[in-house]
Amino acid sequence: MDPVNEKIRDYIVATWLSGDSRGFDDESDLQESGILDSFSTLALIAFLDEAFRIQLEPVEVNAGTFRSVSTIAKLVRAKAALPPPVQ
Amino acid sequence: MMRLDRLVTPFATRTPDHHAIEGDETLTYAELDALANRFARVFLAHGVHPGDRIGIHLPRSGRGVAAALGALRAGAVFVPLDPLSPPARIALIARDCGLRQAVISPPLLAGWLAHAGQELPEHFFLSAEAPALPAPTQVHPWSEVRHADGSPIAPTGDNSDELAYILYTSGSTGVPKGVMLSHRNALAFVHWAADRIALSQADRVASVAPFHFDLSVFDLWGSLSRGSTIVIVDEPTVTSGRRMLDRIHSGRISVWYSVPSALALMLSGGLIERGASSLRTILFAGEVFPVKHLSRVMAAVPHARFFNLFGPTETNVCAAYELLAPVQPDESAIPIGRATCGDVLSILDPERRPVGDGETGELFVDGPTLMLGYWHGGRRTVAPRPYPTGDLVSRRSDGELMYHGRRDHLVKIHGFRVELGEVQSALLSHPAIQEAIVFAGDQTLTAVVVPSDVSLCVLDIKRWCAERLPRYMIPSEVRLVSDLPRTSSGKVDHVGTRAGLLAGTLPRPLWPTPQ
Repeated sequence: MDPVNEKIRDYIVATWLSGDSRGFDDESDLQESGILDSFSTLALIAFLDEAFRIQLEPVEVNAGTFRSVSTIAKLVRAKAALPPPVQ
Repeated sequence: MMRLDRLVTPFATRTPDHHAIEGDETLTYAELDALANRFARVFLAHGVHPGDRIGIHLPRSGRGVAAALGALRAGAVFVPLDPLSPPARIALIARDCGLRQAVISPPLLAGWLAHAGQELPEHFFLSAEAPALPAPTQVHPWSEVRHADGSPIAPTGDNSDELAYILYTSGSTGVPKGVMLSHRNALAFVHWAADRIALSQADRVASVAPFHFDLSVFDLWGSLSRGSTIVIVDEPTVTSGRRMLDRIHSGRISVWYSVPSALALMLSGGLIERGASSLRTILFAGEVFPVKHLSRVMAAVPHARFFNLFGPTETNVCAAYELLAPVQPDESAIPIGRATCGDVLSILDPERRPVGDGETGELFVDGPTLMLGYWHGGRRTVAPRPYPTGDLVSRRSDGELMYHGRRDHLVKIHGFRVELGEVQSALLSHPAIQEAIVFAGDQTLTAVVVPSDVSLCVLDIKRWCAERLPRYMIPSEVRLVSDLPRTSSGKVDHVGTRAGLLAGTLPRPLWPTPQ
């Protein structure tokens, strides 16, 4: 299990799924499932800043990069220059 | 000037090259006027009758404003539809008011066709070039509008008491309800506001609020009534304080009207460091502005005048207003002020007797901005006069009104009206939900749900809501419980449920441990 994915997933499950991780995985669509809107996106950006010390530019935050846990993790790794996910 | 659709024409003659709207596309007053005539002609050519409803379903743009003007010039009524709402909710609204035609952006049409079943407007007019889509109704390409005759069109109506537009807001029974506003309702506010803040041709007015939200009546029609320029601040920009400030600077915006949340967001986006020197007037409405944030915004833009506007959509943007003196961070609350544009405000007790100074009662409004009535469940109802707003207020000895909350289950989430009943209805329509109660917290909603099937998970519930409700109505927290506290008569105990929620003592259902 990749620690970056895990940290992001745990945060989302705790914050917007009331701790219920059933049915949720790294590919779950965060927009379609009503988890991310403009305000929760702001909270998530603040969390990524705190957890990974990365400052996202507005252009980096869009429906593509914030689609799922795995797309966010990919963005985080690219920004923080972290190694690719552990297989 | 008795009709909204006549506002633009004098400027199309006097200042044809002055910008009416700047956004992805810039339209001058002459271009906006001609495009409105083109829209009116295609609506009429495809059989729109006086009083028919035309939906405007596209991101905020000059074309959207031209389509609204065109609908009015064709004698029809325009219905702005939220481009961010799920198609299922848009379909409910379309059915409720019997939309005859709609102007729509190509991506939104695709969503509508995929979800809305067979009940579609007879004609869709695309707002941009796009490949043809197979549709069980008539879809007209953008070129049909663009090539239509833009010369002046004979006015179709002159009665200012006719319905001009319908703004759909949250409905307590689960179906959104339409607030019907006339030309007179709109113009009473528009002229009052433009005079009060001395709006002129030199002003550059931000368009921040969605067109289906009543704040936009000021941005759009107020600007057009004085030959000012509307500067579109698009949806992605509104979610970032920094981007909003960039837009204020690059767009040289002089007048800004939004919900307080957007202004508070600018504080974290660098408002204090960068200032906003072009702004001369800031208006806000829709929710209570925490004084600690407001005082910082006022200090960062010391040269601007600040107005607090107050009132429900039913009184067309606002019924009361206050020009604010600089506030201190330790002040407890700011007044909502006094009556606008000739409205009569009374504060009454439950027996409809006036209350004394300092006593709290319900705010009742009568006057020129009061809506015609509701369009709801396919029927029209006439507004009661005076209209009970559901807002609890008191009058200070100096005559200023103070706000004390709501009498009912209507809450505001980031300025948007939410009837808790609408959210509850959406939850209860899920086949695996037995009971649901929704509570409002600080800008968030919490749902307490009793599932009838233990396999129901929070993700399923969120997804179900996302298909039926706008984003701001989706409960951010969903608590699954096995049972709800009851009163001695067996009814659900709302107070007990709320207490249990806060204390974390509500019984959890047993669900299989995830593998």
